[in-house]
Amino acid sequence: MSKLAKKLEEYGKSIKDKKVLHTVFDGFFTFLFAPKSVTSGQGVHIRDGMDLKRTMVHVVLALQFCLLFGMYNIGHQHYAAFGMYPGVFDAFFTKFFYGLFQLLPIIVVAHVVGLGIEFFFAAKKGHAIEEGFLVTGMLIPLIMPPAIPLWMVAVATAFAVILGKEAFGGTGMNILNIALLTRVFIFFAYPTDISGDVCWVSYDYNLLHDIFGLSTASAGFANVVDGFSGATPLALAAKGGWEAVVANFSVSDMFWGWIPGSVGEMSKPAVLLGAGMLIAMGVASWRIMLSMVLGAAFMGAILNAFATDPTSFIAVPFYYHFVMGSFFFAMAFMATDPVTASQTNTGKLIYGFMIGVIGIIVRVLNPAYPEGWMLAILFMNVFAPLIDHYIYQANIKRRLARNHG
Amino acid sequence: MDLLNIFVKWAFVENMVLAYFLGMCSYLAVSKTVKTAFGLGLAVIFVLAITAPVNYLIRQYVLVEGALSWIHPSLATVDLTFLQLIIFIAVIASMVQLVEMIIEKASPALYNSLGIFLPLITVNCSILGGSLFMVQKEYNLIESSVFGVGAGFGFFLAIIAIAAIREKIRYSHVPAPLRGLGIAFIITGLMGIAFMSFMGIKL
Repeated sequence: MSKLAKKLEEYGKSIKDKKVLHTVFDGFFTFLFAPKSVTSGQGVHIRDGMDLKRTMVHVVLALQFCLLFGMYNIGHQHYAAFGMYPGVFDAFFTKFFYGLFQLLPIIVVAHVVGLGIEFFFAAKKGHAIEEGFLVTGMLIPLIMPPAIPLWMVAVATAFAVILGKEAFGGTGMNILNIALLTRVFIFFAYPTDISGDVCWVSYDYNLLHDIFGLSTASAGFANVVDGFSGATPLALAAKGGWEAVVANFSVSDMFWGWIPGSVGEMSKPAVLLGAGMLIAMGVASWRIMLSMVLGAAFMGAILNAFATDPTSFIAVPFYYHFVMGSFFFAMAFMATDPVTASQTNTGKLIYGFMIGVIGIIVRVLNPAYPEGWMLAILFMNVFAPLIDHYIYQANIKRRLARNHG
Repeated sequence: MDLLNIFVKWAFVENMVLAYFLGMCSYLAVSKTVKTAFGLGLAVIFVLAITAPVNYLIRQYVLVEGALSWIHPSLATVDLTFLQLIIFIAVIASMVQLVEMIIEKASPALYNSLGIFLPLITVNCSILGGSLFMVQKEYNLIESSVFGVGAGFGFFLAIIAIAAIREKIRYSHVPAPLRGLGIAFIITGLMGIAFMSFMGIKL
């Protein structure tokens, strides 16, 4: 391995003057091997192999639980829609591979488009490639409906990466979360493909059926079974309150994630495992997560206090808001994005709390949108620099008072 | 509840800057630092909150057809609505003059940093737009006061948020052609997307 690294390094030096080729080479080289250029013993610099790429890879690793579960759940929901293999673990591999073939194209498209744009801009600027897109590229497939058309993913990713990130100067400079910007673009530009009841379950045949000849075997389930709507718990709750939800899904199904919805956000244990990993490795801020839970519970409890009609959405007990929808996914992977969140510790508490409050407001009180976290996080991303600004000012004032008081 | 609805609607949902793109000139020009943006935002809240109800009263008791009948019954057929724009602008101009005098007295530093944009609030389209929306939506006196405060608050939120963002991205490597106003327009568009979270909300 080290021999290979040495050889590659020499090759890298030989192409140093070729701008595009060298940026691409450098990008892949530092991705595969830990860079040797660390600061020496003198000086006060950080002496650690933890660079941006390693941080990103930690987040991608933490996302794998959601990804694997999401793949399986796509298959499970697909067969459930046709009334086949009703048990959760029936036909395990068929379901898994169905999900894999459904999800893999989305992952590939998101990465090819996003990384392609990133490579292009890095080469134009003559910079090293910044791997900020690795996490975004993994998050984008996880927040899409499983049957999203691929060209939409491509267009939205291009929009988010160019206008949301490269226009601001690349990785670490963006003000809005890129993955959420991708989703919000599709949400407002092609609303029928990402909201409503139809899009959350994949009904199509895909590659799997062609390869293994399953399309003939599945001729029997050409029709969706009666009573299967594909509506998510949140859509049901908006119509008929908590009773309508439990009539269709049990709480344990919602907790474990056997419900239709966006790919990666369904399974709470998988998300919480990833969140725990991020906190343990010090990548994500526990302050944001904790305050976001408090904010959502606080707002949910207030709405409960105002509820009069038990079948309304307002009356859904606040602790059940956590098992429906994508609260934990947004909390663990979206709100904690270190670039777009508040930078100060106090700011993080305020930021997370406000996301919790606004998310519940949008989810419950806004009939136009079924889920609130995407928009709540974008909204608070806009205000994060402002929160920071006032906390800096308060710090400056306090120190001045302390030193000159 | 209706009043709260009007406030939320004009502060967040139908934000003057981010939904109607009114008042862009001062919004883009004075949003380089949070401090001046804060001052201008407060001035806009003040002016909007005063002009909307004042213009309502003037319209109701002077301008609309039959409004002058309280002076003499023979004036019941007089319709002065064609003077509406001029009168509104005159009221706004005098209010801005008042604000200018207050700020000059209270905070000369802010007065200097706002510079020409303070008197230019007079022709800030979000202020005149505020009065015209008030007419269009047929608000009564209390509603138009709440509307004025709400719309002003929306402008205030938008301008201090973009000012903080612009302070933050001062150290970003924004591509040269986009520096300055270009990136400010892109930020405004992205903020518009984020503010759409409240679209359709009804309390």
